[in-house]
Amino acid sequence: MNDATPVRRRTLVRKNEISADRMNDEKTQSQYQPYKDAAWGFINHWYPALFSEELPEQAVEGIQIAGVPILLRRAAGKLYAIKDQCVHRGVRLSAKPMCFNDTSIACWYHGFNFDLATGVLNNIVANPDSKLIGKTGVTTYPVHEVAGMIFVFVREDDFPDEDVPPLAHDLPVRFPQSSEEYPHPLWPAAPGILDENAVALGMHRTGQSNWRIACENGFDNAHILVHADNAIVHAMDWVLPLGILPATDDAITLIEEEDGPKGQMQWLFTDRWTPVLENPALGLKVENLKGRFYRTSVVLPGVLMVENWPEEHVVQYEWYVPITDDLYEYWEVMVRICTTDEERKKFQYRFDNLYMPLCIRGFNDCDLYAREAMEEFYADGTGWDNEQLVETDISPITWRKLASRHARGIAKPGKGVTNATKTSSIRMRRLAQGKAPGYKVEKIENVNSY
Amino acid sequence: MLTPTKTTIAFSDGIEHELTVEPGQSVLDAALAAQAPVLFQCGTGSCGSCLAHLDEGEAEHRAGSSSSLLPSEREQGYRLLCLTEARGACKFSVGYDSAAGAGRPIEGKCFVNAVERIATDVVRLELELAEGCWMDFRPGQFIQVKVPGTDAVRSYSMATTVADLPKIELLIRILPGGVMSDWLVNRAAVDDVVEVSGPYGQFFLKDKVRAPHVMIAGGTGLAPMLAMIDALRVAPGRKPKVLLSFGCQTPDGLFSLEPIELRQHWMPTLDARISVDRGEPADGIRVGNPVAAITAEDGLTTDSVAYLCGPPAMIEAARKHLEHLGLAPENIFAEQFVASN
Repeated sequence: MNDATPVRRRTLVRKNEISADRMNDEKTQSQYQPYKDAAWGFINHWYPALFSEELPEQAVEGIQIAGVPILLRRAAGKLYAIKDQCVHRGVRLSAKPMCFNDTSIACWYHGFNFDLATGVLNNIVANPDSKLIGKTGVTTYPVHEVAGMIFVFVREDDFPDEDVPPLAHDLPVRFPQSSEEYPHPLWPAAPGILDENAVALGMHRTGQSNWRIACENGFDNAHILVHADNAIVHAMDWVLPLGILPATDDAITLIEEEDGPKGQMQWLFTDRWTPVLENPALGLKVENLKGRFYRTSVVLPGVLMVENWPEEHVVQYEWYVPITDDLYEYWEVMVRICTTDEERKKFQYRFDNLYMPLCIRGFNDCDLYAREAMEEFYADGTGWDNEQLVETDISPITWRKLASRHARGIAKPGKGVTNATKTSSIRMRRLAQGKAPGYKVEKIENVNSY
Repeated sequence: MLTPTKTTIAFSDGIEHELTVEPGQSVLDAALAAQAPVLFQCGTGSCGSCLAHLDEGEAEHRAGSSSSLLPSEREQGYRLLCLTEARGACKFSVGYDSAAGAGRPIEGKCFVNAVERIATDVVRLELELAEGCWMDFRPGQFIQVKVPGTDAVRSYSMATTVADLPKIELLIRILPGGVMSDWLVNRAAVDDVVEVSGPYGQFFLKDKVRAPHVMIAGGTGLAPMLAMIDALRVAPGRKPKVLLSFGCQTPDGLFSLEPIELRQHWMPTLDARISVDRGEPADGIRVGNPVAAITAEDGLTTDSVAYLCGPPAMIEAARKHLEHLGLAPENIFAEQFVASN
């Protein structure tokens, strides 16, 4: 009798078969392999976490970015971010916040108490002399609050403190500092989040697609066709082209300075790009009258800047913050410099009554459903091989290569975190209750009934 | 020498193991008996895995034994523990931490995924661990492959990292009349099964070094460098500067230029220099040896680390050259080709 164990191959891995006559042939694709691997996002980058007003004094919120559960707390005026997963048995501390003082938070399940500034386990409620105390802890995340937004540096557990870059390295280029390098004669210098007196107003909401699909939509110059029927375009009589074609080989400039953001600037509304305003064969013509010049750029970890949008002195920023491989938090933020209270009020009024309903909603809602329409093609990974790209796709391809080169890390698939196991019974129950998978941790509100 | 001697082995993380070495016993055997986590593989003085530095006392290789230890290394105080006899109390240090030896070698089976001639005398062999086999290893380590249909065993550094598992890639030089070469050229086919064991060796990337890295590779000595570059690329934190100098004898002997170029695209801190000993200089290819391609202008500092892999003469020359450029001898790590027998 032969009792030797048979040697078996592992279950077959899908083979990559990409023909050489394609724009994104195998060689090009391998240049952006790291980007293709980044389904769960890029890690070791600054991401927006919450608007300041979402985290008042003593508040605790749990969120998830790039598969990393993060807890934010504001106590005694200080802001903290630590990993929202107890080292003991993985409970999310934010689900039922238990804070005995302003410098720590305890896990509400077995009382593991963590120092907010260092993450160190500094006590256990019912085991204060445990030998484990002081020997373990959770990762902490640097925070930066500015212009009404809270940013968190989402990092791997062993990313060194001294290597954390300033927030400015993960934000778009600033004006007028870069006006000479990236001139923009058609509009006044775009304000930036880090500018003095900058006010950021906007919203964030969860989109059901991979973050890359969302991000690539923002600076895709052929996607504006989806906006052709939007209310704001016709109410304002804007000339929004059917699409914008690259006209020269310097249509895109790489932003790669050593100590700064990494990304790409698209020279829209210069002779390097040609707006397409009619298609006679299909009987299409843009007949609106008012020029609406703008320019898009994108920097790591996926931050869009639309200068001069939706009007002069205002800039729109967008983030597509990965939550899991099929969820992202869509941030739409408008920034304006307001030096007086009156200007603030005016900006707030205009935001509430014009931008919010017609731009943040109306115009950008359209982007949200467009991205979701693309999601299924890419969800199982085959879309990256099967997409048939065209001239205007130099924008996403350049971005993919650049991101592959400069991203500080590729997030590993989330393990033991919310929405990582798509078929878990808890997720099913929440869905049955009509709650879509989201960004924030759902809190246990009533301790006596469930 | 008739009485047992006390010997200490110090690991880079500060952990020390004390051993009693019996008369006639090698320090390696004593270390293994005492369960000290030292790295080793062949036990015969050829592979170089059990390299250690003699810090105190007197110890020499067994009289009459031949080994791959270079005379210059011996002079600097290096010994191969498998051949070393202690003459009185002594202390050795090793360049790896006490956890490195924890990944004990395993024996397993692999399927052949691809056999590809990538230069006149180099074959790329892609293996895939069979179901039920796994292996943990450090970037730069090697495995042994049993040549199918023979009893011959050969050692090759992996050009890939654990992140690529179950796939393992080897770069193998084709030698006329070689047992492995004969199998690769005449018989090897996709889906063949080969027996492997490993990982072995202490030539691997040292963790968390921020200083510049120099890598000098001759021929298929490129394999461990590719693995180390991939590991550096995905390590969290600021990437160190990496200078790879890769040389072959002739232009048609060059290989893996595209993977090197890709890694340069993915890692802006990687600089690569390609050399050939003979032939016409071409675009991006210089004529000369890979050692001389590194110069004082590269601004190497005493804390720079160097990894060398290639034939003994290249390693000897590279060591001298790098020490001359200011590198500390203890920061130069080498793996030399061992002739098959």
